[in-house]
Amino acid sequence: MRFLVNPECYHKMCESCVDRIFSQGPAPCPVAGCARTLRKQRFRKQTFEDLQIEREVDVRRRVAATFNRRESEFQTLRDYNNYLEEVETLTFNLLYNIDVAITEAKLASYAKQNAADIANNKALSAQESASTEARMAAQKEQARLRREAARIEEEEERREREEGRREIIEKIAHSTDDPDKIVREGQKVVLKKSTARRNAADRLRAQDAASVDNASAPLFQIAGLRPITQPQLEQVYDPFGGYVVKPSYFELQPSYAHPWLEKAKTDPQILAGGYDVGEYCARTMMEACAGLGVFVEEEVARRERAADADLGTQSAAIAGGEGGGSGSDVL
Amino acid sequence: MPSGTGKTVSLLSLIVAYQQYYPEHRKLIYCSRTMSEIEKALAELKALMKYRTDQLGYEEDFRGLGLTSRKNLCLHPSVKREKSGSVVDARCRSLTAGFVKEKKERGEDVDLCIYHDNLDLLEPHNLVPSGVFTLDGLLKYGEQQKQCPYFSARRMMPFCNVIIYSYHYLLDPKIAERVSKELSKDCIVVFDEAHNIDNVCIESLSIDLTEDSLRKATRGANNLERRITEMRSSDADKLQNEYAKLVEGLRDADESRQEDEFMANPALPDDLLQEAVPGNIRRAEHFVAFLKRFIEYLKTRMKVLHVISETPPSFLQHLKDLTFIEKKPLRFCAERLTSLVRTLELTNIEDYQPLQEVATFATLAATYDKGFLLILEPYESDTATVPNPILHFTCLDAAIAIRPVFDRFSSVIITSGTISPLEMYPKMLGFTTVVQESYSMTLARRSFLPMIVTRGSDQSAISSGFQIRNEPGVVRNYGSLLMEFSKITPDGIVVFFPSYLYMESIISMWQGMGTLDEIWKYKLILVETPDSQETSLALETYRTACCNGRGAILLCVARGKVSEGIDFDHHYGRTVLCIGVPFQYTESRILKARLEFLRETYRIRENDFLSFDAMRHAAQCLGRVLRGKDDYGVMVLADRRFQKKRSQLPKWINQAMLDSDTSLSTDMAVASAKKFLRTMAQPFSERDQAGVSTWDIKDLERHKRKMEEEKIRELQNGGDGAKMEVDGHANGMNGADEYGADDDLDYAMMDMNA
Repeated sequence: MRFLVNPECYHKMCESCVDRIFSQGPAPCPVAGCARTLRKQRFRKQTFEDLQIEREVDVRRRVAATFNRRESEFQTLRDYNNYLEEVETLTFNLLYNIDVAITEAKLASYAKQNAADIANNKALSAQESASTEARMAAQKEQARLRREAARIEEEEERREREEGRREIIEKIAHSTDDPDKIVREGQKVVLKKSTARRNAADRLRAQDAASVDNASAPLFQIAGLRPITQPQLEQVYDPFGGYVVKPSYFELQPSYAHPWLEKAKTDPQILAGGYDVGEYCARTMMEACAGLGVFVEEEVARRERAADADLGTQSAAIAGGEGGGSGSDVL
Repeated sequence: MPSGTGKTVSLLSLIVAYQQYYPEHRKLIYCSRTMSEIEKALAELKALMKYRTDQLGYEEDFRGLGLTSRKNLCLHPSVKREKSGSVVDARCRSLTAGFVKEKKERGEDVDLCIYHDNLDLLEPHNLVPSGVFTLDGLLKYGEQQKQCPYFSARRMMPFCNVIIYSYHYLLDPKIAERVSKELSKDCIVVFDEAHNIDNVCIESLSIDLTEDSLRKATRGANNLERRITEMRSSDADKLQNEYAKLVEGLRDADESRQEDEFMANPALPDDLLQEAVPGNIRRAEHFVAFLKRFIEYLKTRMKVLHVISETPPSFLQHLKDLTFIEKKPLRFCAERLTSLVRTLELTNIEDYQPLQEVATFATLAATYDKGFLLILEPYESDTATVPNPILHFTCLDAAIAIRPVFDRFSSVIITSGTISPLEMYPKMLGFTTVVQESYSMTLARRSFLPMIVTRGSDQSAISSGFQIRNEPGVVRNYGSLLMEFSKITPDGIVVFFPSYLYMESIISMWQGMGTLDEIWKYKLILVETPDSQETSLALETYRTACCNGRGAILLCVARGKVSEGIDFDHHYGRTVLCIGVPFQYTESRILKARLEFLRETYRIRENDFLSFDAMRHAAQCLGRVLRGKDDYGVMVLADRRFQKKRSQLPKWINQAMLDSDTSLSTDMAVASAKKFLRTMAQPFSERDQAGVSTWDIKDLERHKRKMEEEKIRELQNGGDGAKMEVDGHANGMNGADEYGADDDLDYAMMDMNA
């Protein structure tokens, strides 16, 4: 006798009863106290012994169809784990009839909001399982081939050994040499043949193994989290192209203690015009250090040497260039 | 090499000398197989340390302890009376667990073990005085000081120079996690009696599930659920704490190190252990529902009425399709269960054993893609009609369990008296040897006579091969062989058969032929059975019969209890007969899967492995009768096929076998044995051995001089005229330095000579 259940109420019924009660169309469940309307076509054989689990799996199937985000969509493990827990809680709510209405609403709204993602993930997992299946079938086939090859190899070896033995016997029968010597030589030949063949087989197998390893490497791996990519900040336009003018003879401090300037720092009369004490300090510091690193005697001597060479315009250009260089150094 | 020839003591003296010479004092972990072997090794170590003290003139600061199960080391008056080991473990835990003590401090009425509590009063690094304690000695000391020997040994392990325990403590990942976690990397690990190490490795990772165990697991899951609801209502903080910890992905380091942790994780990659538990099994309720679903799935699988063999990936795929259980949470199953059990403070752990088995199975199946196979056998035998399904989750790769040992410790020594051919072991266990050596044995006289009998008394070939094993001619020939030997052998004869099945059929045929009646005139006949109680009774009777009377014959099985670990020294065994090559039952699906795996992964051919396995068991059986240098015995290998497999016997047996003693017929073998026994009956004193198989210091020095001279001669013959260096310490104890100083002595594989 076969028992069937209906996912509407999970009451067990035998096949003939199902035929008898529901062949006329939908009818209420005959179990006392359960008045759900059942249809014949939805009756099926139960997979699990425990009907509670049967129901749980049905619920899960429904939830999993909607909440099918993958680990690779999350950036941190904690987010993923929180998501998993949330889904589990939803499932539990449906299972034990806690806040069913709210949960159903959540499920529906999630499905609506993420319809595209859900479809996408569904396609992805279908593809994945298909490729896994194909790979497993391929592996099985390969294993079968290897088995076959090993069997053939063994058979061949046995045949060869027999042949070798027969040859030796024949040789002994037909020659006048020392039979012991013939036997020894014959055994040597057989041994050599078998080792050569075994080596060849080993090489072949090693190649096979390498190719198989390559093919089967990604079998069943956990994809892992999505790699975190930092969004690139938009760069501010720099007219100098990264060139920084930095004074080398002094370091500008944020403030200098000048008792006569204290007033200028706070007096709105002065500040209103845009006067900045900092600017003043910078200028004075630059002025104070201007000319350091410029050695007039050297320049003069060089200029004179150039003048000696009677290349007036050229020397002027050099002096100008050098002067400019020192100037920038001071800055 | 048979036991009693000094393998253990040579290894120990070598390593202890090395250990004491160098300042870092590398720890020695010495693993043996059975409790009696552990006790023997400890006794040897004790004697060795006494000798060292005598020779050095002072006592070294040295600690050596052995560890065995709670059952053997318990002192608690009521707990130690329990018969089964798991009950002792469970009761002990309920008396000693950390939270039990906390409860007591809170003023609740709970029982505690006084022996365990006394330990807390002592200094934690000095629970027992230094020196070597045998297990017996430790028990006595514990009784005197009223302290628990088991926990003393456990807690003193980090402070010991030598630890001797069973190799399950290192190989079984479920136990190793707890016991051997803190041993440092530079320990020297020795596996003694390691001829079966690959099987131990495989067994430690294989799991068998039956319908009954699944039922019990369901019950366990229901219990867990009940406890969780109880705790929710009474002490919700604890669950919340655990939950918070799991969210953070934290693992409490101290907590996991506690010795009262009762369930451990199977081998997991380290990166996984660092990861947080997946969100969908974070909550206790969710996890229990998850477990239930998994168990229910397994139950549906059990209903299938044909044999299934599938790889873990295909199992996981099917599981996912049917129950929406992903691979990742499955991987964390064992760990999550441990955490939950700890949080719920369960004491009656033995109820949860099946559940833990299921969780371990889940974790292993989700962790390893290769090297494992699921085999579902719905019927016990081919002829059975009532299904009794067993789901075997078998490990095919011995290397998986032993790899952590090789990764962790820099020096590993694998040794046994009957470990041959050596090349097979590195292949199977996936390592390369630094030193690989097989030693022969020196004996003052030819004290054992190995023979291969290929033909019966009527000159027809004898064999236990499947085609001819039940032919009356073969059976009669085996019968007459046994009868002849029972006539000429004094005292005990041990006979090994390849299987119980064959033994039973051959005995009933002998009964019909009247062979047994004939034998009965000379010896008492006793039979080993699969039942261990019956077997020990038979053994006892056998010993009594050997001690007073004409002696007896013990018929046993080459893979049974008797063949491993029971000694037939002196008059308890003068002849061992190996009837047939003890091949494994080749129709077993597990064996077939393993053979295929070995062929594909390690290029070991089926026949090579089967023959290797048969010969190591045969060697084990033969070794049973020779237990020491003054012992003697006849070893008969009675099968045509042994002739070709001779080279696979251990070196010491093979060397002692003369060409004239192979390919014999029954009458020739009997004549040869008669002669041998007559020679052996001559008086033989200790003094005859001196200088040949036992050396005193003078012999050693003479040998050293000889070796040096030889070396010098060699160098001179080299003709370079180069400066000669005479090795100053090529002898005795100091030899250890030279040997051990070679730090590359990684996975040395040796077979020590006496």
